[in-house]
Parts: sequence; C-alpha cells; structure tokens
Amino acid sequence: MFMYYVRLAALSYRRNPILSSLMVLAVAVGVGAYMVVFTLNYVLGGDPIPHKSDQLYHIQFDYGDPDVADFEPPPQLAYRDAITMLEQSSDFRRAATSKFVAILEPPGNDLRPFFVNGRGSSADFFAMFDVPFQYGNGWDRAADDGQRQVVVLSQELNERLFGGADSVGETINMDGHVFTVIGVLDYWEPTPKFYDVNNGPIDTGEEAYIPWSLIAGQQLRRSGNTNCWAAPENSSFEAFLNAECAWVQFWVELPDSQSFDRYQTMVDNYVAEQRDFGRMQFPVEKRLYDVNEWMVYNEVQPDETRILSALAAMLLAVCLLNTVGLLLSKFLGKSGEIGVRQALGAGKGSLFIQHTIEAGFIGALGGVLGLGVAAIGLEGIKILLGPEAPTQWITINVTVIATTILLAIASTIIAGLYPIWRACNINPAIHLKTQ
Amino acid sequence: MLKMTGINKVFRTDTVQTHALRDFSLHVEEGEFVTITGPSGCGKTTFLNLAGLLETYTSGQYLLDGEDVSSLSDAQRARLRNQKIGFIFQSFNLMPDLNLFDNVDVPLRYRGVSAKIRKERIEQALAAVGLANRQRHLPSQLSGGQQQRVAIARALVGEPRFLLADEPTGNLDSNTAEGVMELLEQINQQGTTIIMVTHDPSLAARSQRNVHILDGQIKSDDRNSKARAA
Repeated sequence: MFMYYVRLAALSYRRNPILSSLMVLAVAVGVGAYMVVFTLNYVLGGDPIPHKSDQLYHIQFDYGDPDVADFEPPPQLAYRDAITMLEQSSDFRRAATSKFVAILEPPGNDLRPFFVNGRGSSADFFAMFDVPFQYGNGWDRAADDGQRQVVVLSQELNERLFGGADSVGETINMDGHVFTVIGVLDYWEPTPKFYDVNNGPIDTGEEAYIPWSLIAGQQLRRSGNTNCWAAPENSSFEAFLNAECAWVQFWVELPDSQSFDRYQTMVDNYVAEQRDFGRMQFPVEKRLYDVNEWMVYNEVQPDETRILSALAAMLLAVCLLNTVGLLLSKFLGKSGEIGVRQALGAGKGSLFIQHTIEAGFIGALGGVLGLGVAAIGLEGIKILLGPEAPTQWITINVTVIATTILLAIASTIIAGLYPIWRACNINPAIHLKTQ
Repeated sequence: MLKMTGINKVFRTDTVQTHALRDFSLHVEEGEFVTITGPSGCGKTTFLNLAGLLETYTSGQYLLDGEDVSSLSDAQRARLRNQKIGFIFQSFNLMPDLNLFDNVDVPLRYRGVSAKIRKERIEQALAAVGLANRQRHLPSQLSGGQQQRVAIARALVGEPRFLLADEPTGNLDSNTAEGVMELLEQINQQGTTIIMVTHDPSLAARSQRNVHILDGQIKSDDRNSKARAA
C-alpha cells in the first residue's frame, strides 16, 4: 500500500500544482535556512574525534599577568613548561606542538620556492590523533630527542611536489635545511581543527610536519599566536624560549580514570612547585580539558551561531505554520474524495496513513529543494567570509543531506497532523451527496 | 439481511433538533430490489447513509446479516462497508485523477487483494458494464452514462452482498437511465440485493418493492406484482 499511497500523493500534487508547490517552497525555505545554521553548528559543534575525545586532554597552566586585572590565562604553554611536561609525561602518549612557516625550495627546476605552513610536533602526535598515512609513517621519540631532520608531507603538498607518488626517502629543502620525507598523510582535515583551536578552529591543516624539537633546535620561524606576560630578558631566541610566553599546544592521552588521576596529580604538583618559585600565581578553573571541554572553553562555537539557530528555528516554524494552513486547505478540498474512499472501505487508519504519506511526500520535495536553498545560503556565507577565509569546511555532506530530507519530512508530517486529523474525521455522508 | 427496528436519527445544532428518521423499521430480504421514494428532505438519503454505515443512528437497532452494527468500531464498519456493501451515487463520485482501472481498483486495495487477482476482477467488472476497452481512460473522457457504469463496476468489483444506490439515474438522460436501470436489474437477477433511492415513479414501479417515506417515517411499503421476478 505504501507505493500506492505515494502514487496518490503524486497525483494529488498534480491536481493542485500551485498550492502544492507553495507548500514545497515554504518547507524548502524553512528547512534550507535551518540547514545553513545546522551546517555551521554541525561543523563547529561536532565532536571531531568521537571515539577518543574523552581520552585526549589539553593542559592549561595558572599563568597570569600581575599588571593586567582581567588577564585571560592563555590556552597554550610556555616552552620550558612544555619541555618539562614532555619529560614528566613520558609514560603517556603526549604531544607538544606548534606552527612554523618556512620557504620550501622544490626539488628540480619546475617549481619556484614557496611558503609552507608547517607544524612541529613531538612523535606521539600522529598516533594520538589517529592521523592517517598514505605512505610511510611518522617518526619516533628518538627522532625527537635527536632532532632528526625528517618530514611528513600532507597529501596536497606531496601532490604538488611529487605528483602524488610515494615520496618516502626523497628530500626537500625548507629554510635551507634538508629534510628527508618519511611519510605522506592521507586526506586529514579534522573540523574543527581541535588540536589547535587557538590558531583557528576552521583553519586548514598544515602542509609539512617535523619533530617539534627542531623548532627550537634550528630556530625555525614560528607562526601562530604567542601570549607573553613578561618580556624576555633580551632579544635572543634563547631568551624567548625561557620567557613567560605561551605558544605551545600540549596534549596528553589518558586512556582511563587511573591515568587521569595520576596525571592530574603530577600537573598539580608541578604547578605547586612553580608557585613556590613565584610563577603560576593565578589559579585557573581547571588544568586538564578533554577535547570537547577544550572547544567549549575556547568558544569554538560562537554565541552568534546559537542566536542564528534560534532565528532559523523561528523561520522554520513560520514556514511550517503556513504549511499547516495550506495542507488544511488542500485536504479539506479533497473532502469529496475522502468521503468516497470511506464509502468504499477506507477506515480512519487508512486515511491517516494516506495523508501522512502525502504530507511526507510534500516534505521530501521540500527537503530536496531545501538542499538547494541551503547550498545557496552556504555559498552566501563563503562570500561573506571573503576569498581569503578557509571555507573548505562549508560543504553539504551526506549527513547534511540526510538531515535535511529527514527534517523536511518529519516537520511537514508534524505540521500536517492537524490537517490530517481533520481529513480523517470528515463526515462522508455530507460530501457524497454534494460532490 | 438488513433489519432496522425503531431507528431514530436526530441531527442537532445549538438551537435546532431535526428528526431525520423517526421510529423507522424496515426489513430487507436477500435478493430483493427495493426502491425508496419520497419527497426531498423526507429522510431517504439519511436512511441510505445509515444502511451503508456511513452515519450512526441516535437510537434503535440495526442488524446487518444478523450482526448488530451499533457497537462496531470505525475500522470494523469500514471493513463491513468494503466487504458487504457497494455504493452507487447520483453524481457518480469517480476520482477524476484515476483512470477507470484505478477507480475500480479502490475497494480492492482496501481489502488487501493481491495484484494479480485485482487485475482479473477489475477487468471482469469493467467488461460486465461494457467498458473493457476503456480501462486507461480518465472519467472526464466518458459520457455520464459511461461514468455511472464505471461506478457500478466499482461497486460490484468487491462482490458485495447488497448495493445501495442513491438516485443513480438522476443525472442521466432517459435513454441512458434506462440502460443503467437494466444493468441494475441484471445485477439483481444474479442475486445481489439492491436498495435504490429514486424520485422517478416509473423506476420505482419496476422494483419488486417500493418503500415510501414521509417525514422520516415509512408511509407505505408495497410489493409490486408487475416487477420482474428476482
């Protein structure tokens, strides 16, 4: 009977094309607008690594500036604390990581030198964040300690430099240093970019990854945010490394509550010790944040998206209210047919199913058209963000498509409940004589 | 087969009560061809709606094939309508978007008959009313008489025990009406009970029995000796 009812719904659409199209349009506008905001929320509010987001923790220390009353503790670590944490966390997977920028001189003469955005990371970074490899692997802790000049390329950079071939064993030159390629990533664009929300949660991933120890060891050009609350003693790089300047993201993987407790104690003890030295005088709310807590703390999903959500939900409600009226008009306009169907054996249950499917049919068409509205809306957001902004995350994926269609069908059926109820309770005797 | 005893039907509004049927009792035997006559507003159609389980009565008793219908649920009443009753209306009441095949298909759909059997029965029913070669036509492509034949085929396709016809020739010219009447007589001769509301005394005279209603009550219930035997 399902396909029979779908066919009846299609025939009913054809009988009243203008009225039906108005309903489809109303649903499309409401659902499309809602899906634009949903996409923003989905991308910014989603769990980027759901299977272990409660095992990965970012550290925040009790940094503060005595001269600034409302000093916000920076969400990164100072170099010397990061070094200490690396040493004291050796029982766990942990990653000190920060951005750098370098000029890459491509092998051969076909390409001109260009800037690459890179990331220095300690060895566990790849395993902790489940980074996929197309060729080769990352490096080990010995490479960190020995400051080995190895590099892992992003899929895109490998395509640019080596045409996508297995480049493991090749060498590249960055800022005059020669690095040996030991791995090439598969496509990897976690959104939001949870491991470095401080430098842009919707930013694209880096193109080259090297041992973090090289950033200090070779004095590579760091990039990304740096917060200082005490000036370095002098202008040397050594003085900068020892200064009260936070620029390192630090993550640790704590797979169970015992590990967490142990690590928390270690961090608390370290802070207490530093406090005795006159550092870390400004207690923070907490020192270990899991992935989702960290994104909330850093307001990856801004308040504006919540306001937009409410506005979009209101627009959807208005559109659905219109749909209620239009459906009521359509269904009551079929009173004669409904009366005949009752005379021929349709009970209220059959009529309910028939008209629910008809409402769902309109909703499905509205959903398909709503995808178009959503696509236009997302393109509009890209234009608003400007050509320089990273917009690769603004896309309609399978989840968005499925959610749009399901939302459209479900909301139209809900909007149609009253019209359906009225249709099911038509007195056939009145309409059979007058049809 | 159909036994109404002391049926009352009252329509109420906030200020007015209208007694459409008063202490109405009628017994129709299987195989009869009964016509119902009476002036407009006397309760003919109300009786037909009650008989066809399209409306509920205010008081009294109605037995259909010995079954008291007063306590039946909506679904049970729908099932009874589908299985035992066929309806023919003055204005045909065909669905304009559906072709003849699909119009006749409707009652079988609600009965859950398989596609193969539905096809056989629909073709037989349309052949029986002389429209076998018009299955894919829309109702708007047919004359009034042909549309009423389709409505008869739709009423018959489920092999009901009785047909309720509400002025089935009311919208037809005399020649076409005669053809429809002959068709109904043939159907009755094959054993289907027919109750037909009509304003036309000549059609009433052709039935075996004529019940005359006035002000919601039976004024006369006459056997017609000239009518063709069932």
